[in-house]
Amino acid sequence: MAKRGSVELLNIDRENTQYNKNLSLDSIHSNSHNSKQDIASWGKTSPSKSYCSSSSTSTENVVSTLERRKVIKAANTENVLLRPEEPPLLQGEKICGQARDVTYLCPYYGPARGVLTVTNYKLYFRSVDRDTPNVVDVPLGVVSRIEKVGGASSRGENAYGIEVFCKDMRNLRFAHKQENHSRRDVFEKLQQYAFPLSHKIKLFAFEYAGVFTENGWCVYEPIAELKRMGVNNDMWRITKINENYDVCDSYPVVWAIPAQATDDDVHTVASFRSRGRIPVLSWIHTESQATITRCSQPLVGVSGKRCREDERYIQLIMDANAQSHKMYIMDARPSANAIANKAKGGGYESEDAYQNAELVFLDIHNIHVMRESLRKLKELCFPNIEETRWLSGVESTYWLKHIKCILAGAVRIVDKVENHKTSVLVHCSDGWDRTAQLTALSMLMLDPYYRTIKGFEVLIEKEWLSFGHKFQQRIGHGDDHHSDADRSPVFLQFVDCVWQITQQFPNAFEFNEHFLITILDHLYSNRFGTFLGNSERERVQEGVKEHTTSLWSYTNSQLDLYYNPLYWANTHQQLVLIPIASIRHIKLWKSYYCRWNPSMRTQESVYQRIRELLILKEQLERQVEDCRREQVTRMTRSNASPA
Amino acid sequence: MNDLRDTGFKSYILDEGSLESISLNDSHKTKLLDGEHLITEAPRVMMFSSLSDRKKGTLGILTVTTFKLSFVSANEKENEIIEEFCQNNLLLGPHEVCLTSIDTIYQLGERTKKRLVPGQNVSGKVKEILVICKNMRAFEFSFKFSDKDSGKSILNALLHHSCPKKHPLLFAYEYKEPYYRTLKDVRMFRNKEDWKRELQRTGCKNWRTSDINLNFHMSPLLPQTIVVPVSVTDSALNQAVEHFRNRCCPVWVWGTSDGVALVRMSDILPTITDRTQENIMLEHVRKSHSEKRQPYIMDLSRECPSPKEIQTSYLKLRELCIPDNIRTFKMQDFKFYGLLDNTKWLLYGSICLTKALEGAQQLCRPNPVTVVLQENNGQDMNCIISCLIQIYLDPYWRTVSGFQTLIQKEWVALGHPFTSRHCLVAYHEAEPAPLFLLFLDCVWQLIQQFPTAFQFTETYLTTLWDSAHISIFDTFLFNSEHDRYLAQTGQTPLVLRSVWDWKEQFMEKDIALFCNPLYNDAYTQPIKPHTAVAFLDIWNQCYSRWLPDLEIRNGGKPPMDLCIRLISSDIHLLRQKLLSGDVNGTTVNGSQEENLSLLKKVNSFFPFSRNHGQIAGLLPINNPLLSGDTLDTQSILNHAAAND
Repeated sequence: MAKRGSVELLNIDRENTQYNKNLSLDSIHSNSHNSKQDIASWGKTSPSKSYCSSSSTSTENVVSTLERRKVIKAANTENVLLRPEEPPLLQGEKICGQARDVTYLCPYYGPARGVLTVTNYKLYFRSVDRDTPNVVDVPLGVVSRIEKVGGASSRGENAYGIEVFCKDMRNLRFAHKQENHSRRDVFEKLQQYAFPLSHKIKLFAFEYAGVFTENGWCVYEPIAELKRMGVNNDMWRITKINENYDVCDSYPVVWAIPAQATDDDVHTVASFRSRGRIPVLSWIHTESQATITRCSQPLVGVSGKRCREDERYIQLIMDANAQSHKMYIMDARPSANAIANKAKGGGYESEDAYQNAELVFLDIHNIHVMRESLRKLKELCFPNIEETRWLSGVESTYWLKHIKCILAGAVRIVDKVENHKTSVLVHCSDGWDRTAQLTALSMLMLDPYYRTIKGFEVLIEKEWLSFGHKFQQRIGHGDDHHSDADRSPVFLQFVDCVWQITQQFPNAFEFNEHFLITILDHLYSNRFGTFLGNSERERVQEGVKEHTTSLWSYTNSQLDLYYNPLYWANTHQQLVLIPIASIRHIKLWKSYYCRWNPSMRTQESVYQRIRELLILKEQLERQVEDCRREQVTRMTRSNASPA
Repeated sequence: MNDLRDTGFKSYILDEGSLESISLNDSHKTKLLDGEHLITEAPRVMMFSSLSDRKKGTLGILTVTTFKLSFVSANEKENEIIEEFCQNNLLLGPHEVCLTSIDTIYQLGERTKKRLVPGQNVSGKVKEILVICKNMRAFEFSFKFSDKDSGKSILNALLHHSCPKKHPLLFAYEYKEPYYRTLKDVRMFRNKEDWKRELQRTGCKNWRTSDINLNFHMSPLLPQTIVVPVSVTDSALNQAVEHFRNRCCPVWVWGTSDGVALVRMSDILPTITDRTQENIMLEHVRKSHSEKRQPYIMDLSRECPSPKEIQTSYLKLRELCIPDNIRTFKMQDFKFYGLLDNTKWLLYGSICLTKALEGAQQLCRPNPVTVVLQENNGQDMNCIISCLIQIYLDPYWRTVSGFQTLIQKEWVALGHPFTSRHCLVAYHEAEPAPLFLLFLDCVWQLIQQFPTAFQFTETYLTTLWDSAHISIFDTFLFNSEHDRYLAQTGQTPLVLRSVWDWKEQFMEKDIALFCNPLYNDAYTQPIKPHTAVAFLDIWNQCYSRWLPDLEIRNGGKPPMDLCIRLISSDIHLLRQKLLSGDVNGTTVNGSQEENLSLLKKVNSFFPFSRNHGQIAGLLPINNPLLSGDTLDTQSILNHAAAND
């Protein structure tokens, strides 16, 4: 058990509840019972009402309550007491527009009248017509589309207003008074600040001036990370051949490549691989030297072109692992797609040309299929779950099947590397979507380092950010082209897969679910610079490191929120995790996809109880220690002064 | 690219050369209980591993006795390992099942699968058999290397003894082992005292115990003591009972000091159109309310699934849990959620949980009212809904002894027809339906949603379901209290052995796993579960544990559970130190090291693990599960072209 974790947990609890120092277990419960009050009091009111009585009906998810409380506390002491409808502001955030007499059409608690504020960072609504205010607090980066609903002549209550479509599985509807173009100002401001890039405004990340004790930009040092795995060594060398991003503009500066490969080889191989993305090292097994390398598809084309240097380069990767005389090339795509790519100059390695290499297709579908699948899932989950035939509904989205397919692919890579000591080369078409999913997941299964909080941050920095997953295109930060075909939930899918593994191995991860959800929330929020741009090169050009804050600064400054109390330190746990990639073990991540629905919230957390037990244990340990010390003192005293 | 590496060490690939080195001796024979007789025995039988497509198996001796079907592996090492990771039943070995837990027997040919009926006689050669048990376990045996005719004799023995024609032929009547009852906390509701104490415990007024059914004179399906409204006279009851199906007039089962009660009854006989007697009874129920409010009547036969529907659903679920071969498994995996939906199992669970919630809400709303559960025969859905309502509202039922007492009261004393529903005896009117399993499943769902509210664990529930089919215990052996009474006092008197006497079956270490380390005894408030299907899950420990391929190595809940047990035991130790004042010495106790090493070994189905691959030192990866996982490409491609 991570000792540090529980100490810090204790601190949060002190901060948030007036902690009773009494030692009995029951006294601890009596505190936690407060939160259960609304469950306990059912029967007195109708069920849906009783849920309403929770302190805030905000659409925040439950796990972030701790965080919320901090915000509310801070807000209470400042301006909010005077003007409660004003939103709490971040450093660098300013109010840009406000509309009063707006009705938020909450799908769960019904219409609420209040004030809608737009800042350069978020949309903030706070109701004024009820005792427990309904608060909606949405970073504008999350918004994918804004539409006007109804016109000046529309009839019916709440028919005139604005609808906001979000990237995080929800939509929001606001109704305005049908007079004096009451929605015009807010609508324009929303458009401007939700899609700043389309309006020649800087992203909020460049305005944000939050100060943190940790500097997240220092989390990932590519050379240090390679050294951690034992590179350089006889077989692999670190090269900065891409220093000016001229070999490959979507790759980072620092690569590890087979020691025998010359710079000339690198240039030739780059010309034979789609977008110059040549095979480079992702991970190396410190004992067996079996490796995971990644690249893009070879430019084989219809005529079946060959490239001796590429073939030799693959051979070098194979030779770098003395344990095996074989190698696997895992092509993430369905074979049909790989074949279809030949017509466009791409394709896959033929086993004739690449001797001793075996090609495996992993049948993972492309970004368009995944986008469609998520769209169906949103239909099923928001605003209310489709209760009749729920299971069939989930199945018909194919979402879980895609998740299963990706996990199964990663498990196959792990099997080859761990059990067969064979190196694996992974690619798809361009090697920045499915490839990143597969390499990152298999590394997570193979190497316990990536299951720590900082290790997971390194994994994202390395496999996703530095190797050029096109976050800008896939998410569409600050851009109003909501139907852009380049958008796709590839990274979300990866995080979902990670969540699935944490469900199968609840002791193996240092972080909890809240950490994953925080990452996803800030994937869209544009508050931090981490996920901006499409590549390292773009981020360097924009000066992202210099002008924005890293998400990891934020997370690493409040690690206590993200610790898994069940994390079992490395010595006790299995080094390699093999999740079961059967759909029978793959579940819908309801606490993410359905989190806006208050009735979908899980009722009670095992973790809360474990925290209580850990705190109690620590208190008892301290008491025993005090008692022991006291006895020792008494003894020495009685020895020193004879009666 | 799919190499078929063995995942377990226990496998013998089917070639006859390797068989010669295996010798079977007396130590491989099954051990008999006192009163148990051997019926037939077959040497050198191959037991196939599940999903191995008959390619992998273990050799051993297969035996049928008057109590069980037994397979003892020739590989002693394997038996030891199973004992380490698996619950160790004192009555049954790792590859043994009680005959009463056998549900269906098939004779297998090259490509044929023939279902056999109990009592049938098979002539001709028997190469392979498949035995399906009520707890979703499946055994597949091959007699290829065994003696001539041994397959036939085993099969016939099974067909004749697994489902006897008469109740007194069940093993419980023959079991000679003396029984020393050690039960303390469980009330059986066989005598008046228990009902009286329950009335007192709940503080429910205006109800009284009645001896009208002494010696089962009034109704054979009700216990000898029943609790009825104070206002009703015994003669009025005698008159009314004629009008109810199964002679199940309204009886009290639970109540509160607020003056409300939970009442169970059956429907009026279909031949009777005049509902006067029913109304008289309900009027008495109304008068029993402290403010004489009208009771809330729930018609469960109309709103809940029938036993027949539950059985159909269970069979579909079982099909999902016992795939014939790896191809079927993959096909199921391919559309698993749809298939699961089609079983309706979770839907029925959801209906039960929802109905119970409706009842519970009436009992504890402002101005609460009495709830009357009414159902066809009064002994099926009534048991489930009544139990669930009480579990929601009364924390006592969430403790181990409370839960056992609840089952005694609602299922055993009030006569759920176990003989018929669990098909223990082959008589015609038997209507098999696992209502009890559906109930346990509902309770499991509650444990998932309220992990600190229950004193017992899912391992307890799974074990309870297994134990419900062991014909040594009387608890789940009868259709009614009356039948039990007759058996106890009959010509070959049956010794009543309660299933709640867990020491009859298990050692302390296994019983310890029944206890939930997260249980918070201060959790006394009512629980209000989410009841929609979307909130329910499939009970993998109970249903999937016989498929080792689905077991997560070193993962799932057991490692987490063990961690919490370690923390709790530390807390216990620290408290003791403080109490005794002896605070010296290290905090780590001796067994902790042991527990830590156990922690490294447990898998997700612990303590029902059947996986031993890790002993071989390799990480087991199931190639069959990974290869050829093509999605339904065509239907997906309808949405997006293959160009990427």
